[in-house]
Amino acid sequence: MSWWSRLYARHGLSGPVAVALLVFFLLVPLLPGKFWTHVSTEILILGLFAMSFNLLYGYMGQISFGHAAFFGLGAYATAMVFTRLKTAGGEIGMIDFFLSLLAGPPIAALGALIVGFFCVRLTGIYFAMLSLAFGELLYYIVFSWYSFTKGDDGIQGLLPPQFFQDPVHYYYLTLAIVIAALIVMWRITESPFGYIMRTLRDNQRRAAFLGINVRLHMLVNFVIAGAFAGLAGALWGPFSRSVSPTLLGWQESGIAVFMTLIGGAGSLMGPLLGSVIYTCLQAVVTMFTSYWPLAIGTVILLIVLFAPGGVLGLVEKRIKARHGAAAAAEFAAEIEAADGET
Amino acid sequence: MDLSAFAIQLFSGLSRGMVLFLLSAGLSLIFGVMNILNFAHATLWLVGGYVTYSIFEFLSAQLGVSPWHILPAILGATALLGLAGFLLERFLISRTYARELPEQLLLTFALVLIIGDLIKLVWGVENRRISLGIEPIEMLDTFVNPYHFVIIAAGIAVGLGLWFFLHRTRFGKIVRAAVYSRNMVSALGIRIPMIYAGVFALGVGLAAFAGGVFLPLLPMALGVDHDVIVQCFAVVVIGGFGSMLGTFVAAIIVGVVYSFSILFWPDGALAMIFLIVILVLIWRPWGLFGTELRY
Repeated sequence: MSWWSRLYARHGLSGPVAVALLVFFLLVPLLPGKFWTHVSTEILILGLFAMSFNLLYGYMGQISFGHAAFFGLGAYATAMVFTRLKTAGGEIGMIDFFLSLLAGPPIAALGALIVGFFCVRLTGIYFAMLSLAFGELLYYIVFSWYSFTKGDDGIQGLLPPQFFQDPVHYYYLTLAIVIAALIVMWRITESPFGYIMRTLRDNQRRAAFLGINVRLHMLVNFVIAGAFAGLAGALWGPFSRSVSPTLLGWQESGIAVFMTLIGGAGSLMGPLLGSVIYTCLQAVVTMFTSYWPLAIGTVILLIVLFAPGGVLGLVEKRIKARHGAAAAAEFAAEIEAADGET
Repeated sequence: MDLSAFAIQLFSGLSRGMVLFLLSAGLSLIFGVMNILNFAHATLWLVGGYVTYSIFEFLSAQLGVSPWHILPAILGATALLGLAGFLLERFLISRTYARELPEQLLLTFALVLIIGDLIKLVWGVENRRISLGIEPIEMLDTFVNPYHFVIIAAGIAVGLGLWFFLHRTRFGKIVRAAVYSRNMVSALGIRIPMIYAGVFALGVGLAAFAGGVFLPLLPMALGVDHDVIVQCFAVVVIGGFGSMLGTFVAAIIVGVVYSFSILFWPDGALAMIFLIVILVLIWRPWGLFGTELRY
């Protein structure tokens, strides 16, 4: 058994995919030009956002259409602290910069605690609608509260310290943070808590019979997912140098849903792979045409119709089919051998 | 606030509510019968508006300018989009019935993107509107566009028509029965797939009708559907999933709340609406007029 298939046996598809993606991400800055480094930073940030969404969808079985609210809250928290701490010349010290990054996740988690408190009382379509309504409420508040959030204009001038203005440096910073977040998420999803989440996804009533406090566990997971979305949002501001209310809108939530579905909701790495596919596709398609929505819409349509488990789901199915065939052949041979003996 | 200003605000809220009702009626019908939340509903509404515009322009070019061309234009768009809805259900939506909720949502989400870009391909990026040359009339010391009366009348007419259809016709009764138990209806020998296709066609046709009726008031523009759809969801959620009466009442509530809150907090009027949605979902997740049965 090669180490590759041993990795698969232990961690499912996430193992090999994680190793492959790690190599890919480490080597990206070697590509000529800054373009792909820039795209890869976006892949990582949005991938983290999509993975945080998948904590709710893939592991807990609830679809949230307001998850971008926490991405946006994180981005705005960082942007506001950033603006307070930076000098009149627009520069920010290294420590102040990291302090502003740290502001994102707790604020997003606090928002998720309040929103989640109400959302976890519902499931299915009602969960989706309530999360959507909260997301839109926050969107319109940020949009219209001009004196506090600068409303429609957004907040500009989020220039990171000199060292991180180099795209490659900012890229490696993002990579380090995302890997750290990934390891934490992996530990969470493989812990007893993670397995309670899977139980809640598969059968809430049975989970309640087992004495699990369903709402409390859902709320904790909601807050964790919100905090990671806030971390992704915190990284977004200094990356794009600005934040705007659209970061909280439902279309932004849709991006996380798309990425998760393209990559596959069934495994931890699925959304990150989905982000690689989505963001690269976007980078390439928008070079040639402005009809990007048409392209991605068609991709989503095909995936929903023909590959409901996403890319990783397809691969998993092929592996299972091949393993199944191999095992059946082995079994048949054994029976034949046994028949020959008698 | 004096009485006349109050009345004007109420009137504009009512008109807005009727536009929302025309838009949400189809959405509510489709959700009630088929359990599908159609994200693309407002995008189809937009297509209905553009098609109405094209038919109107075509008739004006062929037969000379007349505001009355709007009537055949709206009817034509309603019929065309109804047919499109029928085909959409047969070839795409019907494939997802056995699937889970998120996949159905995603399918209609994909349609938002695809249809939105197709509009851009066919009609370009300019806004389209029809000018009927209606003069504003003086009412309670202010000038209002009399077309608002047309919209309110259209909303009430469609509401009554839907009520008559659902409660007094055979097909309507079958549709209502399908809301409660599709298995039983199917067991009685009624072809559920045809009922679904018909309901979807009707819902999309209603959306196109709303688009056509809306056109002389405000221009059709790309991307408007993204804002409109969440407001439709708000109406359907407040009224109760699948309840037509609830949709009607909720549309008026949303319209009136919007037009009054715009006086006090102009930019936050939509925030008010989503606050109501949240309160309703917390208090009665099945909506004001929905039955707890379906929760």
